[in-house]
Amino acid sequence: MSLALAHLSKTYTGRHGTPVQAVQHLDLEVQDGEIVALLGSSGCGKTSTLRMIAGFERVTEGSITLAGRRVDTLPPDKRRVAMAFEGYALYPPLTVAENIGFGLSRSLGRDAAAQRVQNVADMLEIGPILGRHPAGLSGGQQQRASLARALARDADLHLLDEPMGQLEPQLRSVLRGRVKAALKSRGLTSVLVTHDQTEANAMADRIAVMEGGVLQQYGAAAELRDRPANLYVATFLGEPPMNAFSATVQAGGLRLADAPDTPLPLAGVPLPAAGDNVVLGVRPHRIRLGEGALSGTVISNQWLGDQAHVVLEMADKIVVTVAHQRVAVRIGERVPFGFAPADAHIFDAATGRALAHGTRTA
Amino acid sequence: MTGLSLRNLHVKFGRHEVLRGIDIDVAPGQTLVLFGPSGGGKTVLLRSVAGLEPAARGQVAIDGADVTSRGPEARGVGMAFQNFALYPHMSARDNIASPLQARGVGPADVTARVGAVADLLRIGHVLGHMPKELSNGQKQRTALARALVGQPKVLLLDDPLRNVDAKLRYEMRLELPRLLRSAAAATIYVSQDYREAMALGDQVAILLDGRIAQSGTPEEIYDSPASVNVAKLFGDPPINLLPCRPTDAGNALHVAVAGLQLSVRAERAAIGRACLLGLRPETMSIHADARPNAARAQILATTPLHERLVVLLRAATGEEIVASVLGALPPAGAPVWLSADATHALLFDAETGERITAPRAPREIAA
Repeated sequence: MSLALAHLSKTYTGRHGTPVQAVQHLDLEVQDGEIVALLGSSGCGKTSTLRMIAGFERVTEGSITLAGRRVDTLPPDKRRVAMAFEGYALYPPLTVAENIGFGLSRSLGRDAAAQRVQNVADMLEIGPILGRHPAGLSGGQQQRASLARALARDADLHLLDEPMGQLEPQLRSVLRGRVKAALKSRGLTSVLVTHDQTEANAMADRIAVMEGGVLQQYGAAAELRDRPANLYVATFLGEPPMNAFSATVQAGGLRLADAPDTPLPLAGVPLPAAGDNVVLGVRPHRIRLGEGALSGTVISNQWLGDQAHVVLEMADKIVVTVAHQRVAVRIGERVPFGFAPADAHIFDAATGRALAHGTRTA
Repeated sequence: MTGLSLRNLHVKFGRHEVLRGIDIDVAPGQTLVLFGPSGGGKTVLLRSVAGLEPAARGQVAIDGADVTSRGPEARGVGMAFQNFALYPHMSARDNIASPLQARGVGPADVTARVGAVADLLRIGHVLGHMPKELSNGQKQRTALARALVGQPKVLLLDDPLRNVDAKLRYEMRLELPRLLRSAAAATIYVSQDYREAMALGDQVAILLDGRIAQSGTPEEIYDSPASVNVAKLFGDPPINLLPCRPTDAGNALHVAVAGLQLSVRAERAAIGRACLLGLRPETMSIHADARPNAARAQILATTPLHERLVVLLRAATGEEIVASVLGALPPAGAPVWLSADATHALLFDAETGERITAPRAPREIAA
């Protein structure tokens, strides 16, 4: 079912009576069957937003509409929202199976409910612990039980709060695929709250990046990657993060602060007026090693099994590059590098706002 | 020999043997990353080298001298921990200086050495701050500086980047190799992140159940894991493991899994045995058309990971398979075919878990 947040704000009263604006005028629409991630670091407002949607927190201003109903004045149990929490919140006296199946047999009948519990437990690899009680489980098992309970339910919205944070990374990367497939095959509308961009990228159809209580950008992962709205979004998303170079605009190109003697022409990128201070952003895997007008000294060359990270030092600037095969450069070696204008991103040095993007979209 | 040598080291907690015969050599300036799941004995091993846990059997030698019965302060070992362990009532400067002062180094010398190590770690500007005024990244740099300031022969780092945020962790991962090489200590670095282990280790030792399951260069461990348990620890998404029984195909073994037909080089003794075929996700490809040696499959979900697409598939024969590919996929709902690079396939004995395929030669490096 679709979800609409309109002009949603949350203001807390701070320690000395000063108002703290946790969420500021948030407009966000989630379509029926869509998976949306609220992504940001701690304190960005994502958890306050989640708590307002769930009904644990009163809205200060604005509205929440779910499946065509205004829900922001309803108590949590009337909102038809299924939740998986970071703190698990399993019922201690019930077994894992009873926790997951809680209330299901009333709506589905006993056999169908048992089948659903088994399916979701198999998917999350907790079948063997269905008969156990929460107290004896590891953090990762409790988290999967909590996620299983949310996924087993029929609801208008599934709210998943850091649902895999406690799991070991390799299990996570397989479960992400299975959970996404399950959400999609049942057409469940979901909001995923996470600080982990890897999780957001993997799972979400669209990502809402929040910072300081303000929505920075809302779009598909590819859009955020290719056309980040500002330097915050540009450097927050992407691992390793985008390289950011201080630069000054000059006729037809840029002059980098760390390579002032090497004019960089940037054909096809609409640049601001000559003399303006900007930040040039280039993603690590878009840096071309071995060709180009710039150069740097190799300070590390690390092979990680499926990718190489080669790091250069250019004056005081660290330049990170990523390749998908091994790279034959040695530490201490001086190597030329460059990038295509299509891979350049230009930001206003003062405000961080994006001014221009290269044309690459893959 | 110079550096650190452990010979047949055993450590017991009561009657429980936590370390069961550890042999390790680390040369000065080299880093050995100790890797493995929690509970495997990594921290106990570090504490034992530091002299904080007595050895039940075996030897710890530093620069050729047997230090097994020496106390911690007489070993010349520097340590840093994941929880920083700074003295809360002392400034960053005094924290860093503490090991020197304990050894009675003169004030002028202390100032010079603290200044030099602080420059190296880029914390010169916060030396006057108390620990509570430092960010987690600065705390970790302060703890590293304290470990390095005494110019120890052996440096023990217990997952020092665990509690710093992802961005800082990545920056430190780039900076540390240079720092550790210049410190010239024999370093043991404990990590629970396989990428960190590969990035920082000259050698990686995998500690499972109190024993070294495998040690070697990061590349050897990734390309030629000694066992299924080691193979599963390296790689994200993790290696696919598919049950099979190899058959005789002349000078190679023939393996049929998930509709794929692969020719694998391994001992003929594996013919007819219950095996697991290990296929790393990044050695698999997805095609929009049928081709020889490709199997029909259905895409269940696509979960992008950095520049790659991690694809969860179900083979027509029912197996779940994960592929990690670069570039575009066939449109959603279109039929796909899956293939695997047989030269990267790993065959393991299903019962013992040991690798059967011959170790891989180091790969050609693209210029």
